[in-house]
Amino acid sequence: MSDAIAYSTIRELGARYRSRELSPVEVTRVLLARIEKLDPALHAFVTLTPERALADARAAEEQLRRGDDRPLLGVPVAHKDIYCTRGIRTTGGSALLADWVPDVESTCGRRWQEAGTVLLGKLITHEFAMGLQFPGHRFPPARNPWNVDHIPGGSSSGSGAALAAGFVHGATGSDTGGSIRGPAAFCGIVGLKPTYGRSSRAGVLTLSWTLDHTGPMARTVEDCALLMQPLAGHDPLDPASSLAPVEDYATGLGRGVRGLRIGVVRNYFFEGVDPEIERAFEEAMTTLRRLGAEVRDVQIPSLAATHAFLLILLAEAYAYHARDLREHPELYGDVLRERFLAGALVTGAEYVQAQRIRSEICRETADVLTDVDVLATPTTPKPATPFALAHDPEFGFPRSNMPPFNITGSPTLALPCGFSSSGLPLSMQLAGRPFDEATVLRVGHAYEQATSWHTRRPAM
Amino acid sequence: MDAMDKPLELTLEELRDRIKAAGITIPENRLGMVRKLLSDALVPVRALDTRAAKTVEPAVRFRGGRHE
Repeated sequence: MSDAIAYSTIRELGARYRSRELSPVEVTRVLLARIEKLDPALHAFVTLTPERALADARAAEEQLRRGDDRPLLGVPVAHKDIYCTRGIRTTGGSALLADWVPDVESTCGRRWQEAGTVLLGKLITHEFAMGLQFPGHRFPPARNPWNVDHIPGGSSSGSGAALAAGFVHGATGSDTGGSIRGPAAFCGIVGLKPTYGRSSRAGVLTLSWTLDHTGPMARTVEDCALLMQPLAGHDPLDPASSLAPVEDYATGLGRGVRGLRIGVVRNYFFEGVDPEIERAFEEAMTTLRRLGAEVRDVQIPSLAATHAFLLILLAEAYAYHARDLREHPELYGDVLRERFLAGALVTGAEYVQAQRIRSEICRETADVLTDVDVLATPTTPKPATPFALAHDPEFGFPRSNMPPFNITGSPTLALPCGFSSSGLPLSMQLAGRPFDEATVLRVGHAYEQATSWHTRRPAM
Repeated sequence: MDAMDKPLELTLEELRDRIKAAGITIPENRLGMVRKLLSDALVPVRALDTRAAKTVEPAVRFRGGRHE
């Protein structure tokens, strides 16, 4: 019973609510019990909010009785712990904010609340969305439900782990260099990094202004589309927020991919890719061809300079953290402190040159997207990293397939496309034109409907 | 030509100079990690021909007499 409820889709959950087969209070109680039983081994949650959850669930129940048909009514969710929650501790995964209780709510949190969701609590994040917690840290890192000796990805680590473990039906994530898509890939779930400016960052702790994105994480593409809907739209509190009109993401999901052109970016994204991931990705392209898409190879040569994005990230992160680094260095995690301090060593000229490189990557990517509708690549070059490796201070920032789409701000969806021989999830990412989340979701949904990777569950 | 007129690799000596200029402290056992972090990120910037690269303008845009 617990598994059936925990892993139901949002649409299934809504149908069972409306047939009176299940109630939001019942589902909330089942999930709270499941978290209590399983989370001590996973550490996905940093703060549980059972009283708030039950209050939300009772309110949703009342709305359902009145015939309210909003799709997210009574849907259990949780927020990455860099999303400010009014009256609820928001730690940023850091000792610096370990007891901070904001008096503001993030715009995303408010919008999900207004959509009728049930808030189960806050999910651990890598410290300040950047630093994996090392042993001895105030907060233990989340573990991967598919294999607890591996990281769940980061920085939205708790979000990925909680969804794979069936603790919630939706979670927020944030993505500065892959922090929604990486945990989605490593945990076998779905994550959408929307277009830069599509989803508000107001009330979300900053890592790097020009690269930060907020977005939803879920277990299916349709769930992601439903969760994205209220997040999309202008927010005057976020200076980067766009006035571009918002599409209905769920409506067009079933239109299939016949006639769509998918470009496989052959340079950059296949360097050092694990053969199992490459095989799974090519099989996914075969599936999309079979469904009627035209799949062709494309090139974005300037991506060779992608790693310069780190200069932007480090300089902006230092600008945000400089005062606290000076006044409370001891409250930053080991290694993360020195990574942030590295931002003080980026010169003004280097920051500007990195932005010029970024402009070139944006221009070339936009050119390619005039010839194809969607770009496809493996999400990560390798499956989930073992903790033993990730906890080596020298591990650093391995080359990643995800920053190119933070650089361009393109809407990008990560979704499962297979499993490794050791049982770890594999993933592909689909990137689209600015504000064309709908096409990216449509391709992802068509692929998902033709495969069964998203139905596999970790043994816990 | 390397427009920044420097080797692509960030040397430990240059790193120490930058730390001194920034007025910060980085423990000796983390210098290798920081050097690699910055060095990898600097490679594409140091390889850039800055005279051929496009500018990053415009920094501001106006519409109807107001900042866009």
